[in-house]
Amino acid sequence: MSDELTPNELLDKIDYGPQSKSGPESSNWMDTTASVQIRPGMYCYAAKAESVETLGLPNARPWNPLDEDWKLPDNWQEIIFQGLKERLEKFRTFKVFMDICVRCGACADKCHFFLGTGDPKNMPVLRAELLRSVYRNDFSTAAKILSKIPGGKALAGSRPMTIDVLKEWWYYFFQCTECRRCSVFCPYGIDTAEITIMAREIFNLLGLNIDWIATPVSNCFQTGNHLGIQPHAFKDMLEFFVEDLEDVTGVDCTPNFQKKGADILFITPSGDVFADPGTYTCQGYLVLFKYLKDKYGLDVTWSTYASEGGNFGFFTSHETMKRLNAKMYAEAKRLGVKWILGGECGHMWRVIHQYMDTMNGPADFLEVPKNPITGTVFENARSTKMVHITEFTADLIKHGKLELDKSRNAERIITFHDSCNTSRGMGLLDEPRYVIQNVCDNFYEMPPNTIREQTFCCGSGSGLNAGENMELRMAGALPRANALKYVHEKFGVNTLGTVCAIDRAALTTLCEYWVPDVEVYGVHELVGNALILPGEKKRTQDLRLEPLPGMELEEDEDE
Amino acid sequence: MELKQVLKKNKESFIKKWFQATIDTYPQQTAKVLGKDSNRFDNPIGAITHETIEDVFTLILEDFNQEMLEKTLDPVIRIRAVQAFSASQAVSFVFALKQIGEDIIDGNLIREFDKLVDKIALAAFNRFMKCREEIFLLKATESKRRIHRAFERAGLVAELSEEDLLGSKKS
Repeated sequence: MSDELTPNELLDKIDYGPQSKSGPESSNWMDTTASVQIRPGMYCYAAKAESVETLGLPNARPWNPLDEDWKLPDNWQEIIFQGLKERLEKFRTFKVFMDICVRCGACADKCHFFLGTGDPKNMPVLRAELLRSVYRNDFSTAAKILSKIPGGKALAGSRPMTIDVLKEWWYYFFQCTECRRCSVFCPYGIDTAEITIMAREIFNLLGLNIDWIATPVSNCFQTGNHLGIQPHAFKDMLEFFVEDLEDVTGVDCTPNFQKKGADILFITPSGDVFADPGTYTCQGYLVLFKYLKDKYGLDVTWSTYASEGGNFGFFTSHETMKRLNAKMYAEAKRLGVKWILGGECGHMWRVIHQYMDTMNGPADFLEVPKNPITGTVFENARSTKMVHITEFTADLIKHGKLELDKSRNAERIITFHDSCNTSRGMGLLDEPRYVIQNVCDNFYEMPPNTIREQTFCCGSGSGLNAGENMELRMAGALPRANALKYVHEKFGVNTLGTVCAIDRAALTTLCEYWVPDVEVYGVHELVGNALILPGEKKRTQDLRLEPLPGMELEEDEDE
Repeated sequence: MELKQVLKKNKESFIKKWFQATIDTYPQQTAKVLGKDSNRFDNPIGAITHETIEDVFTLILEDFNQEMLEKTLDPVIRIRAVQAFSASQAVSFVFALKQIGEDIIDGNLIREFDKLVDKIALAAFNRFMKCREEIFLLKATESKRRIHRAFERAGLVAELSEEDLLGSKKS
C-alpha cells in the first residue's frame, strides 16, 4: 500500500472529477477545492432552524447546502479559528492527531466510503488533510516559517480558511461514519473519527449540522427519544407487542414501566420500539425479561423518560452528547435500580464505553453490575454500571440458565455483522456470536478481513441514515454487501444478524439493493424465538408471525 | 476467421485492456488502488469490475440474449449507478471496447464487432436505469416501511391501501 501511495503522489495530483484527466489546473490537490460540487444523493439536508434553536445552539436559520450563501455569521472565520484553538488546547488527542500523521497511506484504502465511492478525498488520510492543511496554516509554527520562503506553502501543505474550504469540509466530514476502521490500520493509532468529530463540532458552532442529526437530538432532548414519540405512544407500542407475543406464545409478557426499586433499568434505542425490523428484537427482549421474572424473580423496568439508548448528541458535540447521556443515569438514580442493562445498539455503546465515565460518571450511586442469577460480576462495566444485553444473555446461556429450542430458528442460515461501535468501540466480539450459535444451528462467518475489528461499516452510521443521501449510503455499503453476497452464494446465508439499531434499519436497505435474498435480524429476536417460556403454548409462529419450520406442513395437513 | 474466433483468441488481451479502460474512468489515485490485484474483499470495485468484464466477455463468445447480457452486466452497473457518474459516464466503459477492438480486429470484421458493442451498450443502459429506479424506490419506501408500518401494525395510524384507493378491492 504505502509503497504505491507516497505522500507526493497522493497530495500533488488529486484530480477531483470522476473521470477527468489531470490537467495543469489540478496539479495540486488543494487547488481543486473550488470545484467541489455538493451532489444530490451524497449529502443530507440542512438542520431545521427549530431543532437548532431547541438545543440553544448558534446560528439557527433556514439554509440550503446547494445555495451559494450559507448564511454564516460575519465573523465565521474567527469562530472557526477560536473553535479549533479551544479544542486543540482542550483535547490532547486532537492536537496529537493533527501533528503526527506521516501520510504513509496505510489507511487510504481501508475506508468503506473510499472503497465504495472511488473518491480519493474519502481516503481517510486526505479527508483529515482537509482540516490539517488549515491547522498548519493557522497553528503550526514550522508551517508558518516555511510559508515565508518561496514554495514553502506547498511544502508545508497549508492553506487558508476560505468559504470553499469550509464547503469541502462539510461535504466530506459528512461522508465519514466515524467507524474507525482506518484507525485499526494506522501505525500511529490516529483515530480519524475524532478528527471528524472535531470538524462536526466546528460546524455546529456555525449552525451547519444536518437535519437527520439535529432533529433527533432535539426530539431526544425534549421528548426523551430520537423519534419524538411521547410517553403514552411509547407505552402503547410496547403493549401492542405484548398482544402479539400473547398470540405467539400464549404468555403475557407485560413489562414494567418506571418501576421504583426494580433490579435493573433497561434502555434500548427507540428504533427498537418504533422501526421494523427492530420491533421484533424488542419483542425478543420482552420474552427474555418475562422468562427471567418467572424463573428467577428478576425485576427489569423500562422507562418512558429514558426511552432512548442512542445518542445523536455524539454526532453533534461533546456537550450535547453529555446532555443526552445524563438522562439515562438520572433515571437510574430516580428509580433506585442496581444497574443498567442496555439493548442492542451501536454508538450508544461507544458513548458509554469511551466517554460516559469522564462525562457524567463515575456512576457511584449504582452498584457494580452483577448478574444475580449467575453471580457473574461484569468487571468491564465496573465504572459505567451499564452492561450490553448480549454480554448478559451470553452469561445466562453459559451457566445453563436459559431453556432454548434451536429448531425454531432452523430456517435461518445466519452470518453476523459486527457493528463498528460495539466491535471497535468496546471490543464486543464473541458474546453475540456465542448467543447466536446457541439459538441457531447454521452460522457462517464472512471473510476475516470484513469482520470483528476489521468489520466494514453499514455505510449509514453517525447520523447518515437519511433518505436523501441514498447514493452515498449504498456506495458506502458496498464493501459490507460484497462480503455478505459471498457467504450468501457460498453457504446459502439468508439472514444477517446484528446488534445495532441503525444496522437493523440500514442493512435492510443495503440488502434490498445489493443482496435481495437476505433478511436482517437482531440477535434477541432469535433468542425470543428459541426461548421456551414457562407455561407457553405450542408455538407455531415466530415473532414475525410467520410459520415456524415444520409448522407449515402441519398447517397444510390440517387443511 | 469469424469474429467470435478472433475474440476468443484475443480474450485475455481484450479483458486486460477493457478492465484498464474501465478503472481509468475513476480519478487517477483511485484507479491505482482499484487496479491492484488484491484480496477481493479489500478491493470490491476492482474485483467486481474485473469479474464482470470477464463474465461479459465470456458470454458474448457464446449464444446469448439481451436478458442474459443485462444480468451479467449487473454487478458493475449496480456499482456505477451509485457513484459520481452521469448516466453517459456510467456506461461509457462499454464503448471503450470499440477502441480496443480497432487495434486487434481486422477491418472486415469491425462493423460486426461494433454492432456487438452496441448491443452491450444498450443492455448497460437498461440495467443502469433499473438500478437508478431501485435507488429512487429505496428512497421513497424506506421511511414508510420502517416506521410507518410499525405504527400501522399497532393501530396508531391507519391509511387506505393502494387497492382501496384504486377501488379494485373485492368486497
